[in-house]
Amino acid sequence: MQLQYFLLLAAALFCIGIYGLVNSRNAVRVLMSIELLLNAVNLNLMAFSNYLDSTLIKGQVFTVFVITVAAAEAAVGLAIVLAIYRNRDTVDMEQFNLLKW
Amino acid sequence: MAQFLLETVWLVPCYALIGGLLAVPWSPGIIRRTGPRPAGYVNLIMTFLAFIHAAIALPATWNQPPYEISIPWLSTAGLNLFIDLEISSASVGAMVVIAGLNLLAQIYAIGYMEMDWGWARFYSLLGLFEAGLCALTLCNSLFFSYVILEMLTLGTYLLVGLWFSQSLVVTSARDAFLTKRVGDLFLLMGVLAIFPLAGTWNYSALAEWAATAQVDPTLMGLVCLALIAGPMGKCAQFPLHLWLDEAMEGPIPSTILRNSVVVASGAWVLIKLQPVLSLSPLVSSAMVAIGTLTAVGGSLIAIAQIDIKRCLSYSVSTYMGLVFIAVGTQQDDAALLLVLTHALAAALLVMSTGAIVWNSITQDVTQLGGLWTRRPVSGLAYIIGTLGLIGFPPLGGFWALLKLASGLWETQPWLVGILITVNVLTAFSLTREFCLIFGGKPKQMSERSPEVSWQMSLPMIILLGFTLHLPLVLQSFSLLPNWANLNKDVALLLIWSTVFGCSISSVIYLGDFIPKPIRLPFKPLQNLLAYDFYTPKLYRMSIVLSVDLMSKFTDMIDRLVVDGIVNMVGLASVGGGEGLKYSTNGQTQFYAFTILLGVGLLGMVVTWQYWGEQFLNLMF
Repeated sequence: MQLQYFLLLAAALFCIGIYGLVNSRNAVRVLMSIELLLNAVNLNLMAFSNYLDSTLIKGQVFTVFVITVAAAEAAVGLAIVLAIYRNRDTVDMEQFNLLKW
Repeated sequence: MAQFLLETVWLVPCYALIGGLLAVPWSPGIIRRTGPRPAGYVNLIMTFLAFIHAAIALPATWNQPPYEISIPWLSTAGLNLFIDLEISSASVGAMVVIAGLNLLAQIYAIGYMEMDWGWARFYSLLGLFEAGLCALTLCNSLFFSYVILEMLTLGTYLLVGLWFSQSLVVTSARDAFLTKRVGDLFLLMGVLAIFPLAGTWNYSALAEWAATAQVDPTLMGLVCLALIAGPMGKCAQFPLHLWLDEAMEGPIPSTILRNSVVVASGAWVLIKLQPVLSLSPLVSSAMVAIGTLTAVGGSLIAIAQIDIKRCLSYSVSTYMGLVFIAVGTQQDDAALLLVLTHALAAALLVMSTGAIVWNSITQDVTQLGGLWTRRPVSGLAYIIGTLGLIGFPPLGGFWALLKLASGLWETQPWLVGILITVNVLTAFSLTREFCLIFGGKPKQMSERSPEVSWQMSLPMIILLGFTLHLPLVLQSFSLLPNWANLNKDVALLLIWSTVFGCSISSVIYLGDFIPKPIRLPFKPLQNLLAYDFYTPKLYRMSIVLSVDLMSKFTDMIDRLVVDGIVNMVGLASVGGGEGLKYSTNGQTQFYAFTILLGVGLLGMVVTWQYWGEQFLNLMF
């Protein structure tokens, strides 16, 4: 088990998250993709903490913060989706293109 | 008194200029109540003063060396421009002739312009012309001669265009200006090119320089060609002669001045430049060729005209051609004599025909006839003018032609042949005009034709007297060629050629055995001469066409290419903005994508040095 594999896995997860973030039509799936991104970050932090800083494990502290903030962000995000849904009766991202040229 | 007047003789041009300026207020738009006549009277007084001044000063110049006045005009780095004046008997004498002819023309115009409101403009321009011509005769600097010639060109434009409501007047004024302008511009090239060579523009200094100058003949040939191009345009020489024909649209009193004096202004410069011009044998022969061509061509065309004024205008070209021949063969004195005798005779002819036109309205000689019994004064003036112009002893033209011919007899006898031919042709054409106007039976247009009022006949008679007395005056100043030195064969030839031309013409036009109007057996030749060798068409097909096409092409390039490139920049910016705004497409996910793309690319660029090489090696 090496650091690189963890990093590669995290990068792959990040990429999948990006793909989902850019391509999803459902707003909730976009939020889910953001969670994937954050989790990829968390994986990175944990891996670095384990291999490079195993005594002070600052990465793990960071991860705890990221999880906390991610939860809060997801809550706010879902609230925004709900607010939009109330007005427009849809969560299709392609319908939310009013602010164009 | 005479000495004082001689010292202030440079005032003569100023009188005329002041007269011209004083005439302006009587323009119909300024002084509205008095009518235009005071303009003429004021001008007349000033011209009279100028004439008296010059005439009194003239005897004081006699047998005196010419003295020069030099007034600094402009002095800049390395260039000092002096207004050089030369006061000699020739220049003062020329001023007397100019002021005198202008005086007569102005008196004539009082009668002729009776029914016209444009006196202020007319007289102020006449004043300008007189001032310009007098200044030209005084001026001893090539540069200032050029300046004055240009002013006179502008004056011609305005004077020919006096009655600008007529369309032919507008086109003729345009042609007169442009044709003379082209010649003047070539002259300017010559004037500018001779300065580095000679280092001076003073005619006397130029003559001194020319006496010992060693210049590249090609260079000198080109410079001299440019120098004769100006007088060529001024003197209405082939091929710059159309303007004089068209300038006959102007009022007749100004034609008097133009035919006699203004046209000679080019000849004056030419005569002054003769020492320089003789440096190049090529240019001398070019002048002889131009003069010959114009003299023969002009006299042939004059025969075929039916317009009373145009018959005479081509004779003017003819005689200026003779002046060109005289200068081309280094005979200044003959040229000056020719200019003087031609000025008086031509003015008399124009006055006489103008008097006919004034009362008979038509200018078509084929519609006139039988005026001799009722218009004896005009007829007599015409006869004397004719005889004074062609070689008829003892009048002036004979002596001038004789002097020229005897000078040519030894060296270029064929030119004497040309001279005789021209004399025959001119005698023929002038007699033809006389016979058509005064001879024969009255036609409808000349059925009732009273003699003109005294304002027009008085200057005519005075000038008639001057023309008759010219030989005596010349003799008293011992200006006539000495009879002993002259070639009597040439004199006989001249007399016989005159008699021949006049008699043939009068037999043809007064006799009844040839049906009128006369048709030549070869019709195209008659048309060719009548239409002036189709010169307008030639101009339109060559110079005018090429300049026109070129200017249209340039205009097109300007509109399409130059403007197009600049407009294309603007259009590209507008199009870029219009097209690129669609990048803001309102999709949040697209923005996220572009942010990630940007970050990714920036990261790649920043970290390229750590993996780029391996990556490239791996790929290729």
